[in-house]
Amino acid sequence: MNGFHYALIALVLIWVVLRVRDRERARKFARWALIGAGALLVLAPFAWIVPAVFKTGDAFNDYVFFPPLSKWSDTMSLANFRKLSEGRPSLRGQVYFWEYFLNSTVIATVTTTLQIFFSSLAGYALAKFEFRGKALLMLFMLGSMMIPPVLLLAPLYKMVVDLGLVDSLAGVIVPIMVSTYGAFLFRQACVSVPNEMLDAARLDGCSEIGIYFRVVMPLVRPMAAAFCLVAFLTNWNAFFMPNVFLHSEDNLTVPVVLNLLLGVYRQKQGIFLAGTALAMIPPAVLFFFLQKEFISGLTSGAVKG
Amino acid sequence: MSLIDKYPYGKAPFALLAIAIVSVGIRVATARRHDDRPDLVIATHTDAHYDAYRKAIPRFEREHGVKVQLQLINWASLQARLQNSMLAGTETPDLAELFEGSLGYFTRGPVEDFGVMDITDRLQRDGLRERMVESRFSLWSARGRVYALPHDVHPVMLAYRTDLVAKLGIDVSQLDTWDKFVEAGQRISRDVDGDGVIDHYMIDLRFDGAWGLDTLMLQRGGQFFDQQGNVAFATEDTAELIRWYILQTRGPNKIGYDCGWGQPVAKAMIDGLVLFQWTPDWRSWVFQDEVPSLKGKMALMPLPAWKPGGRRTSVWGGTGLMIMKATKKPELAWELAKFLYTDTPELGKRFQATNIVPVLKDAWNLPEFERPNPYWSNLPIGKMYAALAPETPAVYSSPVDAQARINLDLAFTRSVDHYLKHGEAGLMDAIRANLADGAAAVRKYADRESKLREATR
Amino acid sequence: MKIRHKGPAPYLFLSPYLILTTIFFVVPFVNAIMLAFYETNGPRSRAFVGFDNFRFLLHDTNFHAALWNTTIFAVVSVCVQLPLAMALALLLNGGGSRLRGIFRLIFFSPNLVGQVLVGILFSVLFTPRYGLITRGFQAFLHWGIEARWLTDPALIMPAIVLASLWLWVGFNMVYFLAALQTVDKSLEEAARIDGASAWQVFWHVTLPSMRHVVVFVVIMTVIGSYQLFELPLTLLSESYGYGAKNAGLTLITYLNYNGFRSGDLGLGSAVGWVIALIIFTISLIQIRVARLTED
Repeated sequence: MNGFHYALIALVLIWVVLRVRDRERARKFARWALIGAGALLVLAPFAWIVPAVFKTGDAFNDYVFFPPLSKWSDTMSLANFRKLSEGRPSLRGQVYFWEYFLNSTVIATVTTTLQIFFSSLAGYALAKFEFRGKALLMLFMLGSMMIPPVLLLAPLYKMVVDLGLVDSLAGVIVPIMVSTYGAFLFRQACVSVPNEMLDAARLDGCSEIGIYFRVVMPLVRPMAAAFCLVAFLTNWNAFFMPNVFLHSEDNLTVPVVLNLLLGVYRQKQGIFLAGTALAMIPPAVLFFFLQKEFISGLTSGAVKG
Repeated sequence: MSLIDKYPYGKAPFALLAIAIVSVGIRVATARRHDDRPDLVIATHTDAHYDAYRKAIPRFEREHGVKVQLQLINWASLQARLQNSMLAGTETPDLAELFEGSLGYFTRGPVEDFGVMDITDRLQRDGLRERMVESRFSLWSARGRVYALPHDVHPVMLAYRTDLVAKLGIDVSQLDTWDKFVEAGQRISRDVDGDGVIDHYMIDLRFDGAWGLDTLMLQRGGQFFDQQGNVAFATEDTAELIRWYILQTRGPNKIGYDCGWGQPVAKAMIDGLVLFQWTPDWRSWVFQDEVPSLKGKMALMPLPAWKPGGRRTSVWGGTGLMIMKATKKPELAWELAKFLYTDTPELGKRFQATNIVPVLKDAWNLPEFERPNPYWSNLPIGKMYAALAPETPAVYSSPVDAQARINLDLAFTRSVDHYLKHGEAGLMDAIRANLADGAAAVRKYADRESKLREATR
Repeated sequence: MKIRHKGPAPYLFLSPYLILTTIFFVVPFVNAIMLAFYETNGPRSRAFVGFDNFRFLLHDTNFHAALWNTTIFAVVSVCVQLPLAMALALLLNGGGSRLRGIFRLIFFSPNLVGQVLVGILFSVLFTPRYGLITRGFQAFLHWGIEARWLTDPALIMPAIVLASLWLWVGFNMVYFLAALQTVDKSLEEAARIDGASAWQVFWHVTLPSMRHVVVFVVIMTVIGSYQLFELPLTLLSESYGYGAKNAGLTLITYLNYNGFRSGDLGLGSAVGWVIALIIFTISLIQIRVARLTED
């Protein structure tokens, strides 16, 4: 790309704007051109990762994206994945990559499930009940979100050790079983549940907990799905706490191991990138399936303020 | 209504619940048994050390009738974990192998609160101190006592491309002072093919100072701290060094280029962009491992001296083995430390695997050190590094080590700004002022530490 | 209207949350608060120093640098990241719903990678001479093949900003897009018929209708910016997360380094206090401003 190319593009754009009679079409073209350019910028790093995980050795920096087909046999291979699958040494034998995946899955899914349960309970109570100390509680919850979590790490570590949970997946899950952010989201969603439905259920003799499970929760499913996605992403990609709390090789999660790999394979960035590419797949799959709920959940929640 | 529909929270949470149950099941099924508490736990951070110790430890276990657990933990995690364990007062490994700069954390405040064991007397008692390179103890000492067993010496040489150096007409045997080196560098750091970009740089110099500046300062005898732990880098000598460094990286006749780290360095070497590389013993192994295509084309030479006949090496890095005070078996831990670090024949094999020069001087006579290394043009690099090892400068440490390094770099960067704006006018004054500021900043941190030392609990 | 309950129901519903929060938040928090008035070293030694920690922070140039950097980052986030997100949302709002869905996914996709991995990924992309971003700038702007994004003090904050834009523009765009969908189209039409330009329609009709979301997003962005930590830490992993001339130092990195990693939890707690106070004040101001402009 040099001056000549820019001039050409400018000429084309000017032609389009001048010749096209319909302003609406021109505007549409411009809009999609901008969106397209933005999308390309956002996708570029991903597009770079794809060939990068297959490139080996010196060729890594020689070609920006894919090498020419003729050179593929020299430069492209599955070596990075093979190295990744070799496993890392540990006290009790080799630990393989799928085990880190398993640990991450356990932590992310269990934590998210528990968070949904506890946060929705709290959110519902905050939305539909008046009680003494409620304003204070909400202020406290809001304030607690402003505390940097790093601050609490050391005392929390001691607590987890005292509970005997250090270096175990449970030790990572238990301290974060509740999410104040989730409580607020569920509160937003529960507020819009019509009180008449609650009254009707009470008249029918339904217990409070029954109302919660059978009336309210089904109505706020979009928000549950939205929170589900956000919480899963957060817990899947969590790094700092697992890094400190987990010690044994067979307990590590994917982000922790990838960070380790980068230190070990500073020169062989392809291996680290291969791991990153694999780590992106579960969140991507989940997002693909949950897109609609995610958006409608956000709409029902945050928008109503 | 199917089960999924009845789940109050919806489909996605249900799916997550299902996956959670399944994954927990698999995890429990595939969980490894955690063995009962061994007699000693030792943690290290490098694959090479892990492999070497794993082979050696069974013999120790047999000789002493104990069980030793060896852990491999990446360095940042290891340090974080030790720190957290100390903070939380919980169990730590009995021994931990850490990089230089880690000692500071464990030697803050009153001596009684140090997290690591004082091994000065044991070193003396077992006659180890005389057998090791004295300057390395500086790295692992605090307030005059030694707190970790040094692992290595890490003398620094310069690696270079023999073919390119010959092509460009440089005679390395003549480069025995930095003045001559700079002269040769200025001759070849030019644009050869006329495309406006310099094709060859003489040497790799980090633009922000960092290890390039540190290594040179240590070579000149400069120090971050003196033996008593006072800040010591704000000297005229260091100011002159900074001026030299600025000129070599940003001056009109600069000879230095910043290659970065990792893959780009390999590319720069292969392309011939940079001729000379800073190569402590461990980095020679890194080159062998990561740039195999240059085998036979590389060689090593000692650093040029600052004054004729001066010191021709510096030091970069260091690993040491600390015994945690919390250990329940200090004597056994000491035996293990000695076993791993001073078993002479073993050290030869380790050199073969890592190129790292051990601290134990007796080991340097082993055959492995004489062996010609085909990557490095068949030079006996073991002998070459070992010859320089006794000269490696001491590096006095302090709990506020990191602050000193950060502030030296800060002073350097500010001086670079001055140079870029005003050239050499007033440069030395600016450098002196920046260094003084940097030293003052470090002193503030050091004062906090001494306040802690004196305070009663 | 909310039902005022005399029974124990609300407390029962809240009890798991309250119990767990007390154990895993309040207790460590109180612990951390008390520490702010001590200087510590490990579990045993601690010295009561009163307000000394705060005095130290007041005079520490590193802390000033951290405060400055973090504030700049927050300002840039609100003034660059959010308008970009809004612009993208507006652009996408018009298109058909399927295309919209696809592009929404594309712009959101960086969030599937955690902050840590983004930092490490971008540290590779910013490699001098060979990195994708370096080469990109050279190809399109004929500048920067030798730019040292991660070691040149002038470029470190832009590097962090670029990485954060990649991550969070899409994230906020999704919020804005959802909000735009609920804006009453008839109001916009009415304004347009009255002769208002596109910009005026946006500023006077669309934006006010989205007020709640905008306020929410701005507050969350500011809170998030003040807690920026893992991204600069992994991006600048070679310089302790500080960056040359402290250019990459953020408040939490400062806390982590001077408090946590050096064993001086007291100082760390003091920094935590300051951060929390700042965030609290700014949030209060923002909420006030939002309430005021409502009328």
